[in-house]
Amino acid sequence: MSNSNELLKNIVGYWDGVERKQAREQVGTDFSEQKGKTASDIAKLHPKRLQLTVSEIFQDTPSTKTFRLVQSKQSLVNKPLPPFQAGQYINLYTTIDGVETARPYAISSCPTHREYYDLTVKIVDGGFVTNYLLGDEVKVGQEFSSTSPMGTFYHNPIFHGDDLVFLAGGSGGAPARSMIESALNRDSNINFHLVYGNSYENDVIFQDTFRELADKYDNFQLSEVISRPTEGYEGLTGHLSKELITELTGDASSKTFYICGPTPFNDYCVEQLKALGVEDKRMRIECNGPPKKPSCLDGWPEVVSEVDEVTVTVKGRGQFVAQAGEPLLNSLERNGYTVENACRSGECSLCRVKVLSGEVFNPPESLLRKSDKDFGWVHSCVAFPTTDIEILY
Amino acid sequence: MSDSLTSNDFDAIVIGAGNAGLTAATALQRGGAKTLLLERHNIPGGCATSFVRGEFEFEVALHQLSGLGTEDKPFIMRKIFGELGVMDKVEFVQEHELYRMAVKDEFDITLPASWTGIRNVLIENFPAEEAGIKTFMTLCEQVTMESFMGLPMARKMNSEEMLMKNCKNYAEHGLRDAKSVLDEHFESEQLKTLLAAYWCYLGMPPKDINFCDLAVMLYAYGVFKPWHIKGGSQALSSALLESFLEAGGEVRFNCSVERIVTDQSGDKPTVKGIVTEFGEEISTGQVISNASTVVTFGDLLDTPVMPEGISKDFKSRDIGTSAFCLYLGMDKTPEQLGIKNASTFLSQTMDEELMHDTMSTMNPPVATMLTCYNVDDPSFAPPGKSQISLLCLQYGSVWEDIPVEKYAETKYAFAEHLLNQAEEFFPGFRASIEEVEVATPLTMMRYLNTPGGAIYGFQQNPEDGPLHRPRYDDVNGLHIAGSWQGMGGFQPTYMVGTSTAQAIVKKLKKQRSAEAAKKEMGVANV
Repeated sequence: MSNSNELLKNIVGYWDGVERKQAREQVGTDFSEQKGKTASDIAKLHPKRLQLTVSEIFQDTPSTKTFRLVQSKQSLVNKPLPPFQAGQYINLYTTIDGVETARPYAISSCPTHREYYDLTVKIVDGGFVTNYLLGDEVKVGQEFSSTSPMGTFYHNPIFHGDDLVFLAGGSGGAPARSMIESALNRDSNINFHLVYGNSYENDVIFQDTFRELADKYDNFQLSEVISRPTEGYEGLTGHLSKELITELTGDASSKTFYICGPTPFNDYCVEQLKALGVEDKRMRIECNGPPKKPSCLDGWPEVVSEVDEVTVTVKGRGQFVAQAGEPLLNSLERNGYTVENACRSGECSLCRVKVLSGEVFNPPESLLRKSDKDFGWVHSCVAFPTTDIEILY
Repeated sequence: MSDSLTSNDFDAIVIGAGNAGLTAATALQRGGAKTLLLERHNIPGGCATSFVRGEFEFEVALHQLSGLGTEDKPFIMRKIFGELGVMDKVEFVQEHELYRMAVKDEFDITLPASWTGIRNVLIENFPAEEAGIKTFMTLCEQVTMESFMGLPMARKMNSEEMLMKNCKNYAEHGLRDAKSVLDEHFESEQLKTLLAAYWCYLGMPPKDINFCDLAVMLYAYGVFKPWHIKGGSQALSSALLESFLEAGGEVRFNCSVERIVTDQSGDKPTVKGIVTEFGEEISTGQVISNASTVVTFGDLLDTPVMPEGISKDFKSRDIGTSAFCLYLGMDKTPEQLGIKNASTFLSQTMDEELMHDTMSTMNPPVATMLTCYNVDDPSFAPPGKSQISLLCLQYGSVWEDIPVEKYAETKYAFAEHLLNQAEEFFPGFRASIEEVEVATPLTMMRYLNTPGGAIYGFQQNPEDGPLHRPRYDDVNGLHIAGSWQGMGGFQPTYMVGTSTAQAIVKKLKKQRSAEAAKKEMGVANV
C-alpha cells in the first residue's frame, strides 16, 4: 500500500485528496448512531406487517359488517397506525380450517383517525374468507396480521382535478366513504358526487353517513340507485347507464371518475363512460379480485374446462392437484405453500412465481411487466394453470 | 450444480439482487461456485426495476446505459454481458443524442451522441472557443484511455516511469476538480455549464468531482453511445436472473438477511454464514453484500464492534444524494408534447453550487432532468402515448423529519415544483398526464434500504474514488459489491459485481486444488 501511495503521489491532486480524507476522518461519524435507523424510518411509513386486534364490530346492513382494528401491542393500543391515502387497502391474513390465506379490504375509515382502521366487509356468495369473517367466529379481541396500507386507488391531486364522481357498487361504498369524507374535510374546492348503486334498498352500506354528509356539505351530492327495488320504491332505480350518469352528473368530459364495485359493475361503468367520451386518464378503477369465470375471457384455451384437473409441481418442494379455473395462489395456499401477496387482483406483483414448464392463462387483470412475459413470471393471484405446470418461487 | 467448491451449504451467498448482486451471483454460478442469491423484495433489480400502472410499465432508474458500444465498435459492457450469458436475452436501443440542455434565458443546445458531432455543435455555438473545445475534447479522450489502460498497468507494475510516460494527462489533470479544468479551457459560462451537465449522474457539483470522472462520462457516452433496454432495466435484471438460474443458481425472494455470522477467534473475523429473517442459518465462506455498507457493517455483521478499518473509512464519508422522481404516463406522443430528445436537463440557473445547495432543502429545485424513453423506442409506451421520468436530485435527510401524516401532501406539493418547471419548457405538459407515481427519497429508502435513500452510495467527493479508497478487507470472506464502495450508476455497479465474483471464483478454485493436492500427498504418504 505504501509503495502504491508513493506512486500515486505523482498524480496532481492525489495528495490533497489524502489530506482531505484524513481531515474528514477527524470530524466524521462512523454512522453507528444510525444503527437500525433505515429500517425504522421505513417502518414509520411502510411496516412489512401490522399486528391488529378487533376492538369493535358493527353490523352495518344485513349483508355487511365493519371491523374496527387497533394495534395489538398493549403499549400501542389507540396509538396511530401508519398513515394512508383514503381509498387504499390492507391485506388481512387469516388461517381458516388450517389454510393460511389473506384478502385485501379497503379501509373505510378516514385517514384523519389513525388510531384504528375500519374494514367493511360485505358477504360474497361462496366467499371463503368473507363467510368466515361474517360468521360468528370472529369476535372482539381477535388478532390478525396485515400488510401496511397500499394500493393506487386514491385521489391524486396532481392530475385528478377537483370535480370528482364516485361510481360505487355495493362494497365499493367502503373506499368511497373514506375518500369522500377525507376529501371534504381537507379541501373545500373539491366537488364530489357519489352515485351509489345497490341491489336492495335495505342493504346500502353507510347510507346514513352519506346522507348526513350530503346534508352537511354543499360540495357533496349523493345519488342512490337501486337495481332491485321493492314495489313502491320511489328513489332512482336501474343500472348506472350513460343516460343516468349524464342526467345526474352533467357533462362528464372534465370530471374524474372513481369506479369501485364488483367486477361486472366496474366493467359496465367503464363501458358507459367510454361511450360518453370520457378519456382513460379520467377513469380510476379499483381492482376487485381474480375473474370469477376465467374461461369466458378471450385467450382461454377452448379445450380446457374450469374443472379440469392439473398437477402443479413446486420445484424442489412437492406437487398437488388443482383445478384449471382456480387462481394458482389459492390452490398453493390450500396446499400449504406460503406466497407473499397483497392485492390478489393482479396488480401489486408481490405473488410473482416463475412458470418453468406448462401453460398458464393470464387474464387482462394481470399487470405483467414485459420481461415477466419474456421469462415466464406470472402473478399467481390471477394465474390459471391450464395444463400441468412446474413453478419456482 | 451438484458439486460445489467447498463443504458449506453454498460456496457463496449474495445479499441483494441489485445490479452488482445480480452480476456477482451470475458470474459466481457460471464460474462454478454454488451460489445462493437472497433478495428482500419480490423481484430482482434493486434500482434496475420497473413497475406497472395502468397501460404503462415505468422504468425506475436507468437513464442512459454507458459502456456498451456499438456492434462495430463494442466496448466493455458488451463483453461482460456476453460472458454473463444475457446478450441474447435482451435488446438494446441506441439513443441518438447525448442530451439537450436548456437553461432559462441562457441557452438551449442539444449534443448528438457522436464525438465529432459534439465538437461540431460546440464550435457552431461557441465559435470563439474553437481552440479550447478541441484541446478539451482531446484531453477527455486521453484521460479516459489512460484511466482504463495505462493507469491500471502502471499501478500493477508500481512503475513511476510507466505512470509518467503512459498516463501523463491523467497524472496532470485526472484528479483535478472538473471546474478548474473547464475554467482553464473556456471563457463562456454557458459552454462550461453545458459540458458539465453530467455531474448530476455523480451527484456532486463540478467543483467537487474529479475531472477524470466527467471526462470518462463525456467520452464514453459520446463514442460508445447512450443506450436504453427494451422492457427497461428490469428486462436486463430479469435476464441476469434467468442466466443465473440456468447455470443452476438458487434464488429466494421476499427473504432478507438478518445477520452475517462470523468466526471471531482469529485476527480478523471470518465469514461462516448468514441468518435469514426467518431464522434459518445457512453456511458459506463467501458473502457478497449488495446492501449498503452502512447496513452491511452496521446492522448485519455480527461482530460486537465495527472493524476498525471500516469505522475509519466511514468517518471520512458522507451519505450521498437521493432523488425525487415523478414517473409520468402521458396521453400524447413525444412529438405532441414537444419533446425531441430522450434526455433533457432543464435548469433555471447556470450556478451548479446553487443547484447542489438546493438539494439539501425543500425549496423548489432549480435543476431537473427529464427522460422520455420512447423518443428512440416507441415500444416504451402504448401507441399515441409516452413515458417520462422527471426528477431532481435531493438529499434524503430533508424528508426524514416530516411527520408521517404530512408525508402525502408534502410529496404532492413538492411534485408541483417539478411540474411547473416542465410546463415552462413544454407548455401543455400537465394536461397530458394519464398516470403518475411520485417517488421521494423515502421511497428510494424503502426500496433500496439505503440510509438517506441514497441512490449512488456515499457522496462522490474527489477523495472518494478508487485511488483513495482501497477495497475493504477487514472481514475474511465478506465482499462489498455495489455503489457503496465505488461509483454509483449502472455500468460501475454491473462491473464491480462481475470483478468481485471473478476474484472469488479464482480464490475458491485455488483453494480447492490446494486441498486436492494436500489430500493426494496424504494418500501418497500412507
